Parts: sequence; C-alpha cells; structure tokens
Amino acid sequence: LEKIHTTCVYCGCGCGLFLHVENGRVTGVSSSPAHPLSRGRLCIKGWQSSEFIHHPDRLKTPLIRQSEQQVAATWEAALNFTSKRLGEIQDQYGPKSLAVLTSAKGTNEENYLLMKFARAALGTNNVDHVARLCHAPSIAGLGASVGSGAMTNPISNLASSDVILVVGSNTTEQHPLVASYILKAKSKGSLLIVADPRNTQIADLADIHLNPNLGADVAWLNGMLNVIIQEKLIDLEFISKRTRGFDDVKKTVSEYTPEIVEKISGLPAEMIQKAAIAFGSAKRGSIVYAMGITQSTAGTDNVLALTNLALATGNIGREGTGIYPLRGHQNVQGACDVGALPAFYTGYQKVSEYREKFEEAWGAGLPGDPGMTAMEIMDAAADGQIRGIYISGENPMMSYPDRNRIRSALESLDFLAVADIFPSETTELADVVFPVASFAEKDGTFTSTERRVQRICKVIAPLFDCRSEVEVICDLSTRLGFEMSYGSPKEIMDEIASLTPSYGGISYDRLGLGGIQWPCPEKDHPGTEILHVDTFPIGTAVFHPVEYKGPHEVCDQEYPMLLTTGRSLFHFHTGTMTRKTPLLDREVPSPEIEINSEDAKRLEIRNGWPVVVESRRGSLRIRAKISDAVPPGIVFIPFHFKEAPANVLTGQAVDPKSGIPALKLSAVRIRRADA
Amino acid sequence: MKSALIPKENVITLLDGLSQKMEVIAPVMHEGEPLFTTWRGQEIALDAENPILSPIEFFLPQREVLFRYSRKEVGYSFEEGSVNPRLIFGMRPCDMRAIQVLDKIFESGPSDHLYSERRKSTIIAVLNCASPGEDCYCAQLKSGPACIEGYDLLLTDVSDDAKSPSKAIQSAYLVEAGSSAGESILEEYSDLFKEALPSHFEEKNKRMELAKKVVLGSRPAPSLSQVREAFAKMRWEDLGRLCLRCGGCTFVCPTCHCFNIVDQGIPDGERLRCGDSCLLSGFSRMTSGANPRPSQGDRLRHWYLHKFEYLPERLDVVGCVGCGRCQRVCLAEIDRWKLLEEMVQ
Repeated sequence: LEKIHTTCVYCGCGCGLFLHVENGRVTGVSSSPAHPLSRGRLCIKGWQSSEFIHHPDRLKTPLIRQSEQQVAATWEAALNFTSKRLGEIQDQYGPKSLAVLTSAKGTNEENYLLMKFARAALGTNNVDHVARLCHAPSIAGLGASVGSGAMTNPISNLASSDVILVVGSNTTEQHPLVASYILKAKSKGSLLIVADPRNTQIADLADIHLNPNLGADVAWLNGMLNVIIQEKLIDLEFISKRTRGFDDVKKTVSEYTPEIVEKISGLPAEMIQKAAIAFGSAKRGSIVYAMGITQSTAGTDNVLALTNLALATGNIGREGTGIYPLRGHQNVQGACDVGALPAFYTGYQKVSEYREKFEEAWGAGLPGDPGMTAMEIMDAAADGQIRGIYISGENPMMSYPDRNRIRSALESLDFLAVADIFPSETTELADVVFPVASFAEKDGTFTSTERRVQRICKVIAPLFDCRSEVEVICDLSTRLGFEMSYGSPKEIMDEIASLTPSYGGISYDRLGLGGIQWPCPEKDHPGTEILHVDTFPIGTAVFHPVEYKGPHEVCDQEYPMLLTTGRSLFHFHTGTMTRKTPLLDREVPSPEIEINSEDAKRLEIRNGWPVVVESRRGSLRIRAKISDAVPPGIVFIPFHFKEAPANVLTGQAVDPKSGIPALKLSAVRIRRADA
Repeated sequence: MKSALIPKENVITLLDGLSQKMEVIAPVMHEGEPLFTTWRGQEIALDAENPILSPIEFFLPQREVLFRYSRKEVGYSFEEGSVNPRLIFGMRPCDMRAIQVLDKIFESGPSDHLYSERRKSTIIAVLNCASPGEDCYCAQLKSGPACIEGYDLLLTDVSDDAKSPSKAIQSAYLVEAGSSAGESILEEYSDLFKEALPSHFEEKNKRMELAKKVVLGSRPAPSLSQVREAFAKMRWEDLGRLCLRCGGCTFVCPTCHCFNIVDQGIPDGERLRCGDSCLLSGFSRMTSGANPRPSQGDRLRHWYLHKFEYLPERLDVVGCVGCGRCQRVCLAEIDRWKLLEEMVQ
C-alpha cells in the first residue's frame, strides 16, 4: 500500500490529501496534516474523493457517432476523424466557426494546451470555460478596480479578521475549508455578517443575517457604504494615498439612504445601519463572496460595489483584511490564469496587446480579433456561425442556463467532440467522445482559489483505454498541422512560466507539499501571500460608482415566484463524480425543490409531493421539500440532477460587462403535479 | 514469554529479513507526515507522532472488494480476494486497544470472514508511547500509553538518556513477545537481539509511568459515569449547528467500523465494502424518508453514545481509545475535551 500526496479535485479550496494505492487501485484517502491550508482536515467530498475513480461507468474507449449510435473506436480512428472534421470546418467556414471549451476540472497544463490549440492550431480566440459562469465578473470587476481578479489574501487570513462579511456564499457547504477558518475567527470573538436570501448553515451561525431580495445587492451594498461614509468610518488616509475616484462613488451612494434601500432590498433600514457600522468599525474586515454576487445581470456591478466597500474602509493589502472571491472548481483560477479566456493569453495578458509575443513564442500566426465567450459561443452555434466545438470535461447540458436552447445549439453543430471521464448529457450529443484520465491518473498542477499552484500526481496509470488529455491535444494539434510535443507536463509548466510573469518562478521542482502562491515572478521568489500590500498592479485602485438597475426578470401574475439555484454539500456541479460516489449519492439521492411552508400551504403542497415548476423557458417535475431555509416567495433547486435539471428553467440574460448568465434568479410558477 | 533487547541499528535488518516473507507496514515519513505504508527500506518514523490514519485500515480498508461477480451462461461465478501475510510495525497502544474492540465486534460469531482472515495473517508489533502527542488522552481511558495485551511483539525505547553519565550510551528497544508468533521472531532472528536485563524493565516501567503522568496531567480523567452524566446534559443541537458534516471523525476513528455495501457493475462487477459514517443523514434514513436521527445534533449524540454507552453495555468495552484523531481532523475544530471539561465541572 502506497500513499501519494496530491490535491483534491472538488472545490477551489485546494486541500492536500493522500491517495492510497494498492495493486494498481486507488483504495482510499487520508488527509494531509502538514498542508498549509487543510492542516489534516477535509470535507466530506474530500474524504470521498477517490470513490469515483474505478467506477464501472467510466468512459472506456473512444466513441464515434455512426448515425444515431456512438460506437467504440480506436484512438487512431477517433483522432483522425476529429482532426479531419475540424480541418474541413476550418477550410469551409473559416477558423472563427470553431470553438474550444476547456475545463476548470482540468490541469493548468491541459488548459494551457487547449487554449494554445484553439489559437495556434484552429486559429480562433473562441476559447472559454466555466469561469464565464462563475467568476467572469470578478475578473472584470476586481480587474478594473484593483488590477487583479484573484483572491487578495490567503484563506487562513480569515481567522484573523475582526469582521467578516459573507455575501452570496453558502460557505459551509460549498467551501467547507474556508468556512472552517471563518468559524475559527468567530470562536475567537470576530463578528460574522452573512447576506443570503436563504437561511444556510453559515447564515444561521452569523451575528447578523441579512436576507435581501434577490437581485438587490448593488442597492444595499451602496447603502452600507453610504452609512459608513455618514458615520465617518472610512479610511481617509488609504483613500487619498492608494485610490482614486472616491468622490464619484460618494456622490452616487449618497442617494442610497437606508430608507430607500429598505424599499428596494426588503432589508430593514436599521439592519443595514447595524451591518454597515459593524463592518466600518472593523480594524480588519474581510469580504467573502461567491455565486450569489456574480451570477446576476449586475454581476460586475455587485463585485465593484463590494470592492468600493473594501477600498473605502482600507480593508485591503493587510493581514486579516481583503476580498475573497470563492472559486467553485478546484482549478477555475488556474484555467483563467493560463489563458482559457477569449480576450487573454496567460497571466491576463490581453490578446490585443501581447499577440506578437505569443506568435513569436509559439512560432505561429495568431488571430487578433476578440473571441467569443461561452454564452456567445452557444448563441453562435444556434445561429450557425459556430460549426464545430471541442469540449473538454464540461457538461453545458446541465450547467449552462436554458437547457433547451443549449441542446438545440449543440445539436445544430456540424461537429462536436467531447473529452470526459464519465458519460454525461453532453457526451451523448457528441460526434466523437474521448475517454480521458481522471485526476489520479495524470500529472499536472491545479491553482486554488487562494492562488496556490499545487501539484497533482499520477498515482495509477490511466484506466481502461483512457489517455491523458495532454496527449489528446498534442495528437490533434499535430494532425492539424501545428506540431505539439512535450516530454511531460513539467515541460508545459516551464513554457507557461516562460510566458507568464505571475508564474515566472514556478516549476515542478519548487512545488512542494504546499505549492506556491502567485505572483511568483522569479525562480528564487517565495510567492506572494497577500496582494496589493504597497501598491496595486494598476498603481492606484479605482473606485467605480455603480447604480442599482433592478433584476432582469421580475415576478408577475403568470410567474409569481423566484427561483434561485445552487449546490448541495454532498454533490458537485452536474454530479458526474459525486453521484457515482455511494455515500454522497445516498446522502442526497434525488432532486428536491426547497419551498417555504407558507407557500406550500397556499399551494396545497405537502412535504415530498411532486410538483411542476415552470418558467418562461421550460418546465420540470420535482419533489417538494418544505423548508423555512428559503423565505416565502423564493424557491431553491440544486442543479446536480439530470432527473430535474434546474437549468431547464434558467434564462440566458447576461451581465453586459462580463457575459455571465444570471443563473440565480428566474421567475417561475409552481403547482401540484396532480393539479 | 520471551523478551530481548534490539539495538536500534538492527531494526532495519530485522525488517529486511521479515519483508522477505510478508508485507511489512510501518510508519514512514511522506511529505513531512508519518503514514503507515508498505515499508521498502525507508527510514522508519517511530519517533514521530501517531499517524493521522490508524493501521486499522489494514484490517478494515476504507474500500475493499468483497468479491467479483461475472455472469455465465447459467448463473454467476464469484471470485474472492486473497489475504496476504503482513507485519504491522510500530502500531501504538491506543490502536492496539482499538483492534481489541473490533475483535469483539467482528469475531464474536458469526465472525466477519475477511476481518478474521486479516487478523490471523497479521503480526502486530506495538511501540509503547514514551512521548504522547498533545491531543492524546489514552491514559484517561486506560488504553495507553503502555500496551498491556494483544500484541505479538511490544517495543519500548529504553535508550540511555545522553545526559546520564553513569552508563555507556546505548540506543535500543526492549522487545517483549506476547504470542508464539512474536516468540518465533525473537528466536529466528536471535543474532539481532541481546539479552534484556532487569534494569531494562525498570527503565521501561519508569518511562511509561512518566508518560502516563504527562497524559493524565494534560487533561482531566472523568469516570465513565461522569462522561455519561455530561452527555445527558450536553446541548447536542448547538453542537450540530457547528458541525460541518465532513465525517472526518468517523473516518479516522480507529474503532469506527460501520460500512456500506454496494455492487458496482452490471452484469459483471464487484461487491464493495466501503467505510460509512453515522454522521451522515443517509446512514439512518429509511426508505420511506423517515429518519430516527433527523438532526446533526442527534447524529453526533449517537456517535458519542455508541462509544460510551452502547459498546460498554453490550461488549463491556469503551469505544474510545483516546487517540485524539477526531480532534485533529475536526473541520469545525470542535474542542471535544473542552466541551467535556465544561460539562463535568
């Protein structure tokens, strides 16, 4: 029995763990006491993270569609067919008719190669990934205000915050390790403010729980800043030395009095005042946020409003302060860092500015026009502008909004190739399916939500006829005439480091058990725990005034309730891994809609009864779970379940500044299934 | 029973010899952590703290294939896994006690076939704890720091204190056999051992008394009835509100033994036994959806009561061995002993 150190594959916390291997099989997991973040702790998904690896449902051989059926094929045939079809589309319709969706579940090395493949081999900047559905507003908002979209401080800093403001994050369930540090702070006497319309565990533990109306965040955040200014709790020295644009914001937020905000958000004026004074009085205040902030048509504005709060109170650049955007996937930070984005190469180097640098490095002509975002790619597929897509380890049929539209978009493609570890609702639609290695079967790195670049280790050889995706991409690229060949993932990281200032000093031999937090520009640089200590990457930080614009969809007589979506502690995303993990699937075996007891009574629904939920996009049937964790008028569905895919109901409205869809808010109506 | 002294430099030679005949499991440093793995000649981390996962995993793996099944023209054929001989070297007294608890559960008829086979084919060499860890409370539960029974071999570090000027410096373990399997190792490798003198036993007793004092001094030692009274007063729902439902305490507890059985693969596949956790709601939820332990507080209460009420009542053994691992992995960092101290006061 061997135990090999690696990094957890689930959320963005980036916990260290050991995988146990005996006779070529992964037999268990143990925690890693020396790991700087997890310190011997894991959440339930971490403890169970090896369970899906040997599941018999794994994709075992390449598949090629022959009319209605997907038929097992050799790698040679699948690669040849894929390169032929991509080449034909490229010739016939031009490179802009192709797109690549990379995977936040993949390694940095895979994401880098996929974006290089898209740009250099296919000739398109149409490359994006699930970050578009989670933290695109952080890249846009934090990028514009402080110069970097990343978490400013290490997670462990939360333990030394006096006041922690958690907004739109079900932290105890989605980022349990982050929650553990928040609880640690709280046990030492720190004050916890949680804003969430749902009464989650962390909201229950909060000193102040704010439950604003869905979509009202800019209003109450502006209101909080207004109170902080009125109460003279701002950090004038920080504002004058390190920022610009405060006066504009001051003017804007002055309109947001607690009374006006109460009308918009439903939060009592005194609650806003209480929360604002508490946060404003903190010596060390932190702001933690997740999808409740970003997945909105005001996603970027929400992030800017939060950043204004941090800047005005000087809560940035010091221990125990900072802004903590919580990344959902274990490598969504890394996928962004290595340039799996339509407008950026690695390290957020703009395509518009750095094209020549990459052309020279890669020895290829590269496209200059901006690429499409994930949502635009789907729109363009539906319109026939995009003809071929390569999807790596994503399941848009479950995770993207408005499933019916996504289905018709993917079905209208001339060619779809999907690489994954398990069959999914998306692989079902593919012309070619590549069975690829799981996190236990490959080498590489993940970058956690706290910018920690960490190794993952190949503890067993790829199972069945699976291959590492690095191999798949190199083979495809070479067949398409742009040769790619690497001895090992280590060489790919060396190439990333050579092209990326923030990763410049990172190499496998330096990544011990705890990895390195970027920016790490030089080989002898220890990495950076806290960002923006003396200066911002853009010099001074910029306040951006933001106005409340109202949600994109409101309740009316036809659709009188609001649906919000999210995840469960026991499942991850579209469930491809956790639903194949016996204990996790047993814990939450089927989808349920959470509905408040008042609503249930009015609709004559009893606990466990099937109901039909309809939106302007579609409808689904699901069992009711009567729960006062949701307030009256709001219902909640986790999006893990193919039996009742929540995204049948969600819409395609996007934030104009970042392209993120507004997954957290949809007007719906509900009735008993027998009514 | 026989006893002897083994100079520390001979330990590797001994294990080298034994590893020709069986798989040797020992605590080895991995990335700065002691972990029980197959020993392949590395330095052995006998002075490190007790590994986060107990060697119980070699008797009750987190995940094991009970058998493989495949469909034939008529019916099914089954293939069972085989059990290999093993030596676990450097197990601590608390974990040894945990095995005695598990023996009562798995070997009182009908015995669990795989557990029994593994027990029979495993030799256990226990290392007495001369310097217990800060989370340890074995002495309070009388499961350490000295091992009393159950072992095949028992090692105690009786090396001279370098400061002691009286004797020549010696660096050695006192080795006591507790079974015929242990004795035969002492006989077969007699050239690696020296004679154990009464002074070595005196040294052992002195050290173990000292270690016991250290452990007892670090935390109170409530009686079982005090613990039970405390549990009756415990605000379980408050604890349940804090619990982050990671199940970690149940996954590392050396006496936790609940498992789930799943068949994976149709028509051919495997019947798996996987570690389960009573802190999950699905553990006690019935098919109808009804759950006799509906809240996390109820489930935590059950976990404690199982260890301190049900096992003592049914099998006359306390289900907690004081290894402190639940404390080390608790995601919510619930300080169990502080809770108990508050209750007992």
